[in-house]
Amino acid sequence: MGTGLPVAAPRAERPAASRPRRIVGAAMALGRGAVSFGALFAVWYALTAHGWVRPMALASPAAVASVLVDGVRDRTLLGHLGVSLSRLVISMVVAGAAGIVLGVLVGISRHLALIVEPLAGFFNALSGIVWLPLAITWFGLTWKTVLFVIGNAIFFTVFFNTLVGVRGVPRLYEQAILTLGASRWRTLRDVLLPGALPGIVAGIRLGLGFGWRALIAAELVAVTQGLGFMIFSAANYLRTDIILAGILVIGGVAVAMDSLILVPIERATVVRWGLYH
Amino acid sequence: MTDPGRAGLRRAPSRYLWFTLRFDRLSARALPRGRAAAVAGAAAAVGLVLAPFVLFTAVWALVVGVTRWPEDVLPSPSAVARAFGEVFAKGILTVYAGETIRRIVLAAVTGVAIGIAAGFVMGLNDWIAALLNPPLRFFQSLSGIAWLPLFLIWFGFSDKTIIVAVWYTLVFPVAFNTMLGVRTVPRLYRYAVLTLGGTWRQIVFQVLLPGAIPYIVGGVRLGIAYGWRALIAAEIVVGSGGLGYLIFKAETFHLTARIIAGMTAIGVLWYLTDYFLLRPLEEATIERWGLVYR
Repeated sequence: MGTGLPVAAPRAERPAASRPRRIVGAAMALGRGAVSFGALFAVWYALTAHGWVRPMALASPAAVASVLVDGVRDRTLLGHLGVSLSRLVISMVVAGAAGIVLGVLVGISRHLALIVEPLAGFFNALSGIVWLPLAITWFGLTWKTVLFVIGNAIFFTVFFNTLVGVRGVPRLYEQAILTLGASRWRTLRDVLLPGALPGIVAGIRLGLGFGWRALIAAELVAVTQGLGFMIFSAANYLRTDIILAGILVIGGVAVAMDSLILVPIERATVVRWGLYH
Repeated sequence: MTDPGRAGLRRAPSRYLWFTLRFDRLSARALPRGRAAAVAGAAAAVGLVLAPFVLFTAVWALVVGVTRWPEDVLPSPSAVARAFGEVFAKGILTVYAGETIRRIVLAAVTGVAIGIAAGFVMGLNDWIAALLNPPLRFFQSLSGIAWLPLFLIWFGFSDKTIIVAVWYTLVFPVAFNTMLGVRTVPRLYRYAVLTLGGTWRQIVFQVLLPGAIPYIVGGVRLGIAYGWRALIAAEIVVGSGGLGYLIFKAETFHLTARIIAGMTAIGVLWYLTDYFLLRPLEEATIERWGLVYR
């Protein structure tokens, strides 16, 4: 807290429920989700089916579904999705790794922190889409521009969360292992890195979210492929069916990334080791 | 939080509170004994914060001097300063920055009000919260920028499109944090007030609102941070004035120095807002309610 940056707050653990109760709870949650999404869908359907809203302003669910099916069948939608995802993955690997390394370095060196922290705070305020015009002058309307902008958004999020993670490790643990004769490297490997893991995982999680947002924004303007381009070019032809299909895919990817990839990773590492402090 | 500078804090006139807090924090490192020492300490602290920026500018100037890249690839710091002076003298900067500030203030004030109201409704009623939670989570993970093409069709290339996109990003964090805050207030307090004959109005304004304030302020800060980014992105795409438009327009004319000048303006504006308004607000409430995390 208090760093002013997008840092995830530690979550409270719920006491584990018994198995049948957990299943009932999950079913209830699913039911509630079905009710609310069903209501939303009904409103959408009613608005479009009775001609209250023109398709140019809001496409019908059937039209959106057919765009999705056709897009999968003729591979156009899959192509855009693949391009967007690969951009996200590449920048996550590069910028995420850089963020972790620098975050750990700044976390263990007070002198480095004095120089880097104010600068990073400023550039964090500037991160992401603000760099788009400059990135276009440097790299042109290419994938490099998009990678630069996403990487920028990811880097600072991972960096600050790693930093908070490293600083959150009680000094006592570090001093204890040093007293026992451990080397600086062992302190790093066995105390600081595992201790900082909740921060690092939270940073990757938030970074993917930020990166995905920045990616869509950058693709709106800078390139001729990807989901952002798909929905923005559809706006020129007032094709709300394509836009809504794109929005559903973009939202679906965001939800899937979080619940299918990141939550299991967290459960396998951070939660299992009881590292939420 | 037991440093000596804090003692005088509560007595400071409230409208100066945020500023006092800020400089108080800067000077705290130097353990002020007297006024002169405090001033010197604050100056040293300011210098400590500014030094990295001076170093950064020096390295940048050196890189430009050594590589001699053309000005439209990487302009020198002095060229950027000149561009800054130029947009300022022509009045472009003032007008565009004014546009951006007007938009963020408008969207923040209305969006925060909507978010807090929604958060209270969800915090008070478990059924509504359970029903609204899944779709709201979905819409939150979908950025406002993804909706921009649709908003463009609905509202055209106008101010409305930009404001709606900022709202969209801003309301969710405020609403979710408010809900969380309302829920952290023990139900017992509510029952106690009701038993003593209190009204719901009293519960909301005298029990729940004060109890939820630290969370609400955290949500507001996060929401405005998201909203600010969405604003710049929307201004770039929509292109009807504002700092985002300024830097994007400069790109089409290869005025790289002007781009960097605009970016600096955006960064400085955000830094000042965060440093002098949002963070002190958060710290003040967190400290006041004894929720210090450090």
